[in-house]
Amino acid sequence: MTHDQSQEKTRVSPSLSETQLDALRELANIASGTAATALSQMLAREVQISVPRALALAPADAVDECGDPEQHVAGVVVPIQGDIDGIVLLLIPYEQAEILCALLGVEAHTEVGDSALREIGNILATSYLNGLGAMTSMELEPSPPQLHTDMLAAIVSSLLIGTAEGDDLALVLDSELDVSGDPCSISFLLLPTSGQINDLLAPLGLAEPSA
Amino acid sequence: MASARMGEMVVSSDPNEELVALGLGSCIGLAIVDRTAGVAGLAHIVLPESNDRGEQLGKYADTAIPELITRLRQAGAVERRFETAIAGGARMFEMSGGLDIGARNEAAVRSALAAAHLTVRAAKTGGTTGRTLKVTLSDLTVTVRSAGEQPETLLQGRAPRFTPAAGAAR
Repeated sequence: MTHDQSQEKTRVSPSLSETQLDALRELANIASGTAATALSQMLAREVQISVPRALALAPADAVDECGDPEQHVAGVVVPIQGDIDGIVLLLIPYEQAEILCALLGVEAHTEVGDSALREIGNILATSYLNGLGAMTSMELEPSPPQLHTDMLAAIVSSLLIGTAEGDDLALVLDSELDVSGDPCSISFLLLPTSGQINDLLAPLGLAEPSA
Repeated sequence: MASARMGEMVVSSDPNEELVALGLGSCIGLAIVDRTAGVAGLAHIVLPESNDRGEQLGKYADTAIPELITRLRQAGAVERRFETAIAGGARMFEMSGGLDIGARNEAAVRSALAAAHLTVRAAKTGGTTGRTLKVTLSDLTVTVRSAGEQPETLLQGRAPRFTPAAGAAR
């Protein structure tokens, strides 16, 4: 017999309206388009983008939405500062990181390979933030990227603890970038600091009236 | 398999059950077993202090530990037979501000356990790697595993009832 009472409690309903989530999804769509173009130029390959998702969920549910908790992934973390704070996170399945490195002509899991993955993170995050900035007139600056290869849930949960700031709601904007011709896809996530979701919505005229 | 996700806890007395906390980063997985009763509990603790935010007891070290003990008792476990193991509390990223949530989580869990007169029998904490903590109810083994590595035993399995309390590992 398993007593699992706490499961219920974490399923908080999103506090953002559908209209607000739609607007965030559209922001993510345009911004990840900019990032996909940059990746395509870097790899000289076509890059497909999935329809992005905007999720406002309890952190536990948000982690589940990112994939198999124990999946071994390379995570490139780019902290952002400026009009809003947050994190850009790239998740690349371990084996696919090798393919990505091969496309760049470097060997994976070496210093050069790791540096190449960080550079991809840097370029994708910068183009994504440029796209986001152009639409919202916000100034957003990426910090130097960090690479961490580990279990997916360990990476995502540790980052969400920072961005959700102890809140019960984590906001995740994600899209999938698929490099055509190879089984190589990058999950691209924006994790805005939760107190600042309004700042992201304000330029679109969709901010909550301040409480 | 019963999973304790961020801020959740699970307690079981079903010998066919497994309890897991998958991909602990800076979070702490806390496993408590009572071999004689064949009861185990697992909490996935996210932050050190609740500061009276009472919404989710399992999320904070100071509220999760008393709650887990209560639920273990309700399932028939007895405190003086508790064996405790913890895993997690890693420093996954170098963040500006240098706030090491993992280390603070571990300190808070240890002090809440001490306040409940429980000692940590085995621990795999700190460092920079994520971990999965698993409790197998059939023999009450507690194992921990890092990405790409073999599981490591924290509490050696021994089926309830069949071995004397003072016995060595089978």
